[in-house]
Amino acid sequence: MLINRLSGAFIVSLGLLLYFIVIPAHTEIVDYGWMRPQSIPNACAILLVFLGIVQTAIPTGATSVGFSEFLRVSMFALVTICALWAMANFGFLAVTPLFVGALMLLVGERRIGWLLGGVIVLPLAIWLTVVPLLERTLP
Amino acid sequence: MVEFTTVLAGLGDALNLTNLLFVIAGVAIGQFIGALPGTGPVMAMAVAIPFTFVLDPLPAIAFLVGVNKGGLFGGAIPAILINTPGTPDAAATALDGHPLAKKGKPVKAMKMALYSSVTGDTFSDIVLITLSVPLAIIALQMGPVEIFALMIFAFSIIAGLIGDSVVKALIAAVLGLFFAMVGLDPEHGTPRLYFGYFELFDGLPLTAVAIGMLAVAEIFRRLANIGKSILPTIEIPDTQDADDKRVSRAEYWSCRYVMLRGAVIGTVLGAIPGIGSTAAAFMSYASTKQTSNDPESFGKGNIQGVAATESANSAVMGANLIPLLAIGIPGSITAALLISAFKIHGIQPGPLLFEQQGRLIYGLFGAMLMANLMNLLIGQASLRLWARIISAPESLVFSAALVLCITGVYASTGGMFGVAVMLAFAILGYVMTSFGYSVVIFIIAFFLGNKLELSLSQTLVILDGNPMAIINFPVALALLLLSLLSIVWLGYLAPRRANKRALIADDQSDTSSK
Repeated sequence: MLINRLSGAFIVSLGLLLYFIVIPAHTEIVDYGWMRPQSIPNACAILLVFLGIVQTAIPTGATSVGFSEFLRVSMFALVTICALWAMANFGFLAVTPLFVGALMLLVGERRIGWLLGGVIVLPLAIWLTVVPLLERTLP
Repeated sequence: MVEFTTVLAGLGDALNLTNLLFVIAGVAIGQFIGALPGTGPVMAMAVAIPFTFVLDPLPAIAFLVGVNKGGLFGGAIPAILINTPGTPDAAATALDGHPLAKKGKPVKAMKMALYSSVTGDTFSDIVLITLSVPLAIIALQMGPVEIFALMIFAFSIIAGLIGDSVVKALIAAVLGLFFAMVGLDPEHGTPRLYFGYFELFDGLPLTAVAIGMLAVAEIFRRLANIGKSILPTIEIPDTQDADDKRVSRAEYWSCRYVMLRGAVIGTVLGAIPGIGSTAAAFMSYASTKQTSNDPESFGKGNIQGVAATESANSAVMGANLIPLLAIGIPGSITAALLISAFKIHGIQPGPLLFEQQGRLIYGLFGAMLMANLMNLLIGQASLRLWARIISAPESLVFSAALVLCITGVYASTGGMFGVAVMLAFAILGYVMTSFGYSVVIFIIAFFLGNKLELSLSQTLVILDGNPMAIINFPVALALLLLSLLSIVWLGYLAPRRANKRALIADDQSDTSSK
């Protein structure tokens, strides 16, 4: 119940932020024509405020927020962000084995056969398929 | 009018060993590329077109048709097996396909997807072969006002996907609509909400948003929930009943109306340029769920859910060729790629195509039917391979899926910016799911948002800002009424009927226990 109310309050704040700050600052204001660039974004922001108020006042729906899961998901997201930065700078073939290895070790995989499969076979198979075979580029 | 001898000659041209081999190669490549998250029929065809430069027109087009049809089914494989749909339309397949796989019936779910995909595809091919010219003319009568009404109708299907909270579903839809507004506005052409990133002038890339929210968010969740002992991704019991590994004739037959409805929805939407298979898949799913006697079983592994979505999204692709062949207007990106292949081989699609290249076109139709058969046969064989792959440990499968999502989105969006968007929406998708906001509704609204704004803008110009003037557009009026009926039926009457049935069932079980 509290989580639903909090999410409703967040939606209200988001709607207000969009309506008063984000949309005016990032949309060119046009004052002619039936549909203006800001028409639908503003309508969305107003609807978010209204629906957020309803959700805060009369919270409905199930939630599945788990703190430990959230922490672990954040960790995997962080590892992925680092890997993407590294891929952009050092290339796919150099980073992917380390990235896959890190993911597999973080979830507790210790079997050497599967680890080698993930670290060596997988990146190589993807690279061979995408670059020489499909003639596409990789980072 | 094309002579009957030309029809026979064209079909005869298609049915030779060379074309058969190219169709087989195309279907196999299409299924493989389609099964990689982030890629799909569009990517598969874009990759395949350069290979056709050296071929004669018919084998070249037969090959591309095979790639397209193989890619259509391939997209359902990751959606069913690991709940990571490679394309937005496959997200609808995951709704019931993955729960079926989790129950230890992945082969059954994939077989149903294959059979319904081939059924829907064959239906739309037959419509294409027999009725393409009149249907294309009718489809082109759909002006902006009618398209706007159709968009409203497509939005109304969201009512059929609302879960336990109408407010949360509406918030998800509004958020999806808001994110669709990023990029140039359709009436004035001014950029908005792009925060200095010129890559966003064309809007947020659909592939990156959909894969991020539907696939990567799920991969993160699954990686986070791997316990101390790492299990196979999907366990298929050795002693599994044979019925759980196949789709019986009775099961297939019980889905006949579901598949027919899906095929009709897909064919109608596919014949109208620019609507797309995502809307068709979800529309078919929502209508099947709410007309079912047991709507509560949807989302928990109901085989009819798989049949509804796959028949609809596959039917779209065949019907996309209706305006292409009859009038020369491509109905989708894959049809546009096909038109480029036609032109490479000196064929000019348009009203005179059937007269000037009748034999070749009926050859194409023959190749399409052959590709459907090959899709079925190759699909049957490859399912065993996918089932084996998926029995690898979760640690490897989800790490591999994450890398495939990154490479797929990188290839389809052309750079790391798309990958960054994918990651941002993965985090948003995870948060939304945790707080009970439907990402599927978000994606539908995001997908339809641009089209809705464009058609609304054109409609207001045509109607001169007077909404009452819509009475001069009977088709649009009928579609708007249909939208209203669909909201009342899907959003109010059907759930009420389901609740009543559940109460009666509870009462009966209480009485029998006493």
